[in-house]
Amino acid sequence: MKYALFLGCAIPIKYPGFEAATRLVCQKLGIELVDLPFSCCPPPTTMKLVHYDSWLALAARNLCLAEEAGLDVLTLCSGCVNSLKEVNDILKRSDSKRRKVNKILEDHNHHFNGTAEVTHILDVLYQDSVVERISKQKVRDLPLRIGCHYGCHYFRPPRVMYPDQLSDAGSYVPVQMDHLLSILGMEPTEYSRKFLCCGSPLGANTDADAGYAITREKLEHIHDRGIQAISVICPSCFRQFDMGQVLLSRKSKEIPKIPTFFLTQLVGLALGLSAKDVGVDVHRVKSKKLLESIDVN
Amino acid sequence: MTLKIWKYFNREDLYECYQCARCTGSCPALQVAPAIGPRETILKCLNLGHEEVAKDPRLWLCCTCNVCEDRCPQMIPISELLVALRNSAARHGNIPSRLSMAIELLAKTGRSMIAHQLDEMRAHHGLQPLPSAAVDEVQAILRKAGLDDVVEF
Repeated sequence: MKYALFLGCAIPIKYPGFEAATRLVCQKLGIELVDLPFSCCPPPTTMKLVHYDSWLALAARNLCLAEEAGLDVLTLCSGCVNSLKEVNDILKRSDSKRRKVNKILEDHNHHFNGTAEVTHILDVLYQDSVVERISKQKVRDLPLRIGCHYGCHYFRPPRVMYPDQLSDAGSYVPVQMDHLLSILGMEPTEYSRKFLCCGSPLGANTDADAGYAITREKLEHIHDRGIQAISVICPSCFRQFDMGQVLLSRKSKEIPKIPTFFLTQLVGLALGLSAKDVGVDVHRVKSKKLLESIDVN
Repeated sequence: MTLKIWKYFNREDLYECYQCARCTGSCPALQVAPAIGPRETILKCLNLGHEEVAKDPRLWLCCTCNVCEDRCPQMIPISELLVALRNSAARHGNIPSRLSMAIELLAKTGRSMIAHQLDEMRAHHGLQPLPSAAVDEVQAILRKAGLDDVVEF
């Protein structure tokens, strides 16, 4: 199993701990990662809204790098997977857009052919063969009530993200993270408005306070269910919960802070890595006491 | 320069909307900010024309979460309409300053994040320094695609 690792921007620059955890976990599970000179994806929350053709062209360049290496793309972020999957789909279907993009890329000796697939680390870990390896290599359970937050762009719009798995009504509800974490001995716990946005794009582009008001609503529901930790698969969602709780707690101390983890950090801990190895030591909302309560150091 | 937004969104789809407001009822941005909301956006496109809608700065109060489209009983690709309207707005200078700064950063560095004490931070996690992005190539691609018509870099 071999992929081109698409780090994106927020993970290698703001949350390198997620990168470290992912590399260590993949190494343990026999998933080979290749680094290519990718740029920004670019995001569905910025470039796509401002200049659609630039969004297509830059994403196409990234896809071409993977095609040229003969590899599929493994992303670690809901935004990256959204842009790259959608652009891949658009350019495979539209001759005119593909021609236009290839005209832009030809100066740099790239040509989009549509031969690379795009996936997310959650879907890679959720494959039967990998789940089997995780179960075999797991050295400890993580018995915590965990609340999963998938991040909107990971699965919406489902006609683009999971076209083969739509219900009769054309809808799609992800379950992968809940299932995977239950294999780690965690207790995935449902909460009201689980599929509500984290608030990040609204906060980043226009009004930070309004963005955090959405985060706050989610946190209230998460707290109501006695959830001890939050699991995310996107660095923007992570920031919204981690930094967000620090900022929100300056206004009100009603809700105790709940630590947030990136998925591969939790998988790493279950596979025997230390809290420092997977980089949870730098999170703003500290998890030391919580992890010590289940004998993880 | 006017953007022909119907190249990006099928105009006939607007007439499928029967104003049930399920989209607006599920809009997280509208819950916390004075956004227009998808239902009213569609109505205004029909009644006033998309060029009027593209002038409204409230157009940017959106999470891009796509729940509106998810819940639309008429299966109107609302997210595509909103993307087309914002592309048109940006072309006329209606763009939040934080967003144009983000685009400028992306165009100048090839990445969407400002690197600060990066090597030290990566070393703390046992990682090598991050190679810089192929900025020249990225910029040439963005220029040829026409980004500098909208955001200077």
